[in-house]
Amino acid sequence: MTPAPPGEVTGAPASFEEAYLQFAPLLRKIAVKKYGIPVAEAEPLVHDVFATYFTNAADVIEVGPYLVGGICNAARHYLRRTDARDALFCGETPCAATPTESILLEVERKLLLRRLLARIGSRCRDLLQRYYVAGESTRAIADALRLKPMTVLICLSKCRKRALAAYHAMMETPRT
Amino acid sequence: MSHIPEGELALYALQPDAIAERRRADIEAHVTACAECQATYDFFTVREDDFEEALAEADTWEPMTGSATFTTLMDYGARIAQEDRDAEVILKEYIENPIRAAWDALTSRRRFRTGGVVRKLNAAAHAVHKSKPRIALTFADAAISVAEVLPDDIYPARAVYQLRGAAWKERAKAQLLLGQFPQAHDSLDHAERAYGKTPHNSLGLSLVALLRAGVFYEQGRLDEAMTMAERAERGFAHAGDEKRRMDAAFLRASITFEAGDPTRALPIFHRIIEHGENTKSADWIALGSYAAANCEVDRGNLGEASVLFHRALRTFRERGPERERLLTEWGIARVVLYGGKLADAIRRLRDVAAEFERCEMVTNAALVGLDISDALLALDRPTEIVDLAQHLFSVFTNAGMLTGALSALAYLKEAAAAKRLTKQDVAAIRAFLRRAERQPSLQFVPPPRPPADSV
Repeated sequence: MTPAPPGEVTGAPASFEEAYLQFAPLLRKIAVKKYGIPVAEAEPLVHDVFATYFTNAADVIEVGPYLVGGICNAARHYLRRTDARDALFCGETPCAATPTESILLEVERKLLLRRLLARIGSRCRDLLQRYYVAGESTRAIADALRLKPMTVLICLSKCRKRALAAYHAMMETPRT
Repeated sequence: MSHIPEGELALYALQPDAIAERRRADIEAHVTACAECQATYDFFTVREDDFEEALAEADTWEPMTGSATFTTLMDYGARIAQEDRDAEVILKEYIENPIRAAWDALTSRRRFRTGGVVRKLNAAAHAVHKSKPRIALTFADAAISVAEVLPDDIYPARAVYQLRGAAWKERAKAQLLLGQFPQAHDSLDHAERAYGKTPHNSLGLSLVALLRAGVFYEQGRLDEAMTMAERAERGFAHAGDEKRRMDAAFLRASITFEAGDPTRALPIFHRIIEHGENTKSADWIALGSYAAANCEVDRGNLGEASVLFHRALRTFRERGPERERLLTEWGIARVVLYGGKLADAIRRLRDVAAEFERCEMVTNAALVGLDISDALLALDRPTEIVDLAQHLFSVFTNAGMLTGALSALAYLKEAAAAKRLTKQDVAAIRAFLRRAERQPSLQFVPPPRPPADSV
């Protein structure tokens, strides 16, 4: 399936798209870091939690905590530590569904980085994505873009440095 | 001294192995001696592990590039939205004229067998469950009949069970308000089984627990009600649903109060007031204040009760609901009564009773009448109790409430006429009327009287 970038008209309610973009990184981090679930295995869990929410969204008042509770239950279920009921009612004190501070910090950084990457220009974005996500070598990038490998290296470094500086600036500036 | 070219410095910083060993040594020596090349080199080597790690994660790029999960979910969201739009159109006429026979025919038709129809019917049931529980029951029954015939795999993640659970839950809510308690338990059993099929969902099971607590509470099965309320409260805390957690806490405190322990209920109600203050919720402040005031009345702290009742009243006068306003006015009148200002109390209580009658809340009107009877009994004016009982008898008859309450009111009238009515009799009638409101088939049994020669 060809992924459709967000921002294109999907036909889904805007609230669904917003909830997904805001909370999906957090849900992934919780599944992977808190429960030790492999990245590839965490993705279907995240999908199912959102699908369950979309199906009966009217019952949900607090979306974020609901989704976090959902991924915790899904992760526990996945790990077969307990059955669904025990996952919900696990003793006298509420289950610690609240993500740890370090997870929240990581997710906050990621959301900042997303905002930053949206602003650094398409050329830099393309280069960084090829290098970091697609794992292309500087030579492969150079071939694709018809540049010299050295030029790619310089551009890549400059883009990284520019992004890093902006990232630090955004980290220090309170969000409005 | 000629500087090292920028590209070569970049290569040296990022991929040093790509440079011949001898040249690498030259560059290293040069960079050590040359501040300008050192700065350029530093520029290329700057690293930050968190930043690098986040850059390498695919979902950092998701808003720009999309993902398979995003596409699948948005397609699914679009389908849900389309189902909801279609249901809105095809159900409009039926929801405006909710006749049961029409629903039976309607839900057997294929185009009505969608999740959107179930969601719409569930929402319609929820919207009227307090004001028109019988109609809510019709909607919920129709929702169940559709939800149960949808294929199990119609939605991903077994989400159809969410809709089934929600439909059974709506049915239970209507049944609770209609006093159909065994049926409500049965509906909740169905809801629980359905919600239990979706391991990601904790909310549905907590909602079931809260509703079941409410049913047990109405049945007077207070221990079971408490267990369920606590379970619901923990579940909502787990799901981060603060509003519903407060609902559960309020019910838990009400159960404690009903069990005759206002001292233990009071701090919970005060926590609810505090929650209302923190969240700037006038409704929670008013409800908590009203309930805490009732605790203070039972504890004999009439001054504090009065302050709390008046705090609640300010909000209920401004924002309603009317029922809560009247209950609070009643509370204030009882404070006056217990304070010994009997004439003032009777005047206030008569005003409240008249308003309850106007709103057709006849059981509350009768309960207020019993407070008036207490005052009249203390003033030794039994004839007025006879008149009052006669009036309430006709109120119940006119309202078509031909239940055991009529026998209780007849007993009140006869005992007052015979000048043998006691405070204990009034208390027994009060307890019966409260139970009979929830269980209309209950029969009134006159309170036992000690043998004549023992007094």
